Order: sequence, then C-alpha cells, then structure tokens
Amino acid sequence: MSAVLTMRKLTLAAACAIATFAVSPSIAQQATDIQLTYSKGQFQPSEVRAPADKPVTFRIKNLDAKAMEFESKSLRVEKVVAANSEGLVNVRALKPGRYEFYDDFNEKARGALVVQ
Amino acid sequence: MTIRTGLYHAIALCAAACLSGGAARAEDASSWRDLETKYIFGFTTGSGIGLEGEKEFTTDTIGRFGKRGGHYAATETKYEFEFTPTQFIQIEFGALGSTHHIAGVPDLDDRRQFAFSGAFAEFRYLALERTSSNPLAVTLAFEPTVRRIDETAGERVRNYEFETIINADLELLKNRLFAGFNVLYEPEITWGAAGEVQREAKFGGSAALSLRVASNVVLGGEVWYLRHYDAANLMAFTGDAVMLGPTLYVQFTRKMFMTAAWNAQVWGREIGNTVSLNLAEFQRHRARLKFAWEF
Repeated sequence: MSAVLTMRKLTLAAACAIATFAVSPSIAQQATDIQLTYSKGQFQPSEVRAPADKPVTFRIKNLDAKAMEFESKSLRVEKVVAANSEGLVNVRALKPGRYEFYDDFNEKARGALVVQ
Repeated sequence: MTIRTGLYHAIALCAAACLSGGAARAEDASSWRDLETKYIFGFTTGSGIGLEGEKEFTTDTIGRFGKRGGHYAATETKYEFEFTPTQFIQIEFGALGSTHHIAGVPDLDDRRQFAFSGAFAEFRYLALERTSSNPLAVTLAFEPTVRRIDETAGERVRNYEFETIINADLELLKNRLFAGFNVLYEPEITWGAAGEVQREAKFGGSAALSLRVASNVVLGGEVWYLRHYDAANLMAFTGDAVMLGPTLYVQFTRKMFMTAAWNAQVWGREIGNTVSLNLAEFQRHRARLKFAWEF
C-alpha cells in the first residue's frame, strides 16, 4: 500500500505544481487593449501591435450577419463571436514576435499581432 | 492482426485521399495556418497543449504485436477527454480498454479477451513556448495510470504507473518541417493475482521528423530507444530496444483529425540471453491509431 500512497502523493504534488504554474504573474499587470473589427469577412486592421511582456486584451467587434471564431494557434486562444456583437479575448504577456490569428469559419480572414 | 490490417487500410485510404486532395489544391505553404504539433510525430508527442477553452474527445489505440513464438496481439485504447483551462496547462483523463489475443507464446497464458482495464489522467505544462524568434517549445507531462489488467499478459493485476515525459519540438522550416524529441521515465508497480509484487521502469527517448506535405497532411518518421529495468530506481537493467517507423497526421475537418504510426523493433537485447531483439519486455511491432474531435 505504500506504493499506492506514494502514487497519490506524486499525483497531488504534480497537480499542486501545475496549479502554481497556472497562476500567471501577468494577470496582475495592466493589459494592452486592441480593438479589432470584423466586417465583410475581413479583420480591420489586419495587423496590430503591442508591447512585449504585457498581457493583451482583444476586443473583437463582429459587424457581419453571421458568427465568426477568432482563433490563433500561437496565441493559444479561440473565441466564437456571435453576429453583430463583441467578444473579449485575454492573452498572456507575450515575447517579441509575430502572432497570426484568423477566423476559423473563414479561410481568407487573417491578421497578425506584432509584439515588440 | 485485424487491428493492424485495419490500421494499414486506414493509413492507405487517408494518405491517398489527402495527398490527392492536397496536390489538386496546389497550395502555397506560406498561406498555411499554424499547426498544432502535439500529434504530428506518431508515438512521439509534440509540445502542443491546445487552445485555451478548447475541449477534445479522442480514442487512442495502441496495438502491440509479436513475441518470441506463437501468436501475440494486444491493444490498449484510451477513451479520453482533454481540455485546456489556461494558455499553459492541458489536462486529460479517461478510461482504458484492452484486448489480448495470445496463443502459444512462451511464458504467457493463452487468452482471448476484451476488458475495461483501468483509468488515467495526464497533466501537461508548457514550460517553453515557441515564438517567431524561438523555434523550440518544451512541455512537461505527468501521467498517473491505474490498471486492473496487465498490459502484456492480460492477467488480472493491480498496477500503478507514473509516466513522466518531456515533449520538445523544433520548427525547422516555418509551418512545414518539424523535429520532435521525447524523454521518458515510467516507473510502475504491479501486484499479481497471488500477491506477488513486481517493480519495474522504462526509460528512454525518441527523435522524430515530420514534413507537412499539404495543409492538412503531415508525414514523418521516428526512432525510439527504450530501456527496461526491474526496479524503479533504474538499477536493475534487463534489456533495451530500438523501434523505428513512419508516422501520419491528417486533419479531416476544422475540428477532426487522426494520427497513425507504426514502429518495428529493429534492434534489441535481453540481458542474459543471446537471442536477437528484445521480445521479453518489448514487442516486435507496435501501431497507433488516434482519432480526435474538438468542440
């Protein structure tokens, strides 16, 4: 039974470690607000900028008559924004680089966040 | 054997359908979207942890075929729910089902069975993320597993395993060519039906290379080197093996994909035994077939 207890302790330790890591210090920082409009199947503007090492909040206003899904593998976020409404997407503090995003419902709608 | 034949058919059908589709579209690689790397390397796991808020149901079957003599075919399927609660953490859990078809294999009882075999959970933490200026990403994963059926022999047991693994991958060509690396340490303890206790561990690593040949198809190959010990502290070495084989990843729709892989043991040794290959602790072939639905 000692092995079972050890296994439970290891699992608990792993869960605690992960929970600790999950509480990102970036939450306490002031986020950079980025306004995006989605209209006629395109992001406007299609390229936006933000400072490095600060969290980012995207405010996506969908002006089209159908829903869109803001998604980015590199930002690791996805959010469905209903027709004629606004969606908020919070992103962690980012390292300098180029992060592409797109509408998952529309192959052609793409944009990028440039972090400097 | 049926599962292996089915796997070959699935791989052939998917490859033919997707490669012809990919060629017909004559896509420009620079327009491809970013790729989630977790499942593109076969048995080697990439660093990807999904998107915050994403949920996924998967069936992940691993088949093991071939021992020293007789007929040996065993599978273990994970029925798995996974979700990504933050941009750094992924959690998975689910049930295990197993099949065993064993006939005339030395040191193993003949059996033909299907069983609910246990449960598992996995915690993944993205320790180093890829950016446009850093091609390397690293994820640390822990996977505690409880089994009531022995993976190899199919006997009733109580087995506790704690897999610890480092998943790393490198983007060699933007959105096109990826290298994957895993380092694995897997201690376990098993109580047999007669109360006997067996402690063992696996330690090893892998390297994989995957090329995205179309926006929805990735082909590659991987090699694994695995060592087996009769103790959790890696002190009682009993044998090792090298496994090698091809991998395939196909994205069917925006929210559905599959991954398939096949490895053959190309080198191995059993300590205290002069025979070629290590078929006591490993198998001659192994295959993986995974389907996933995101929602």
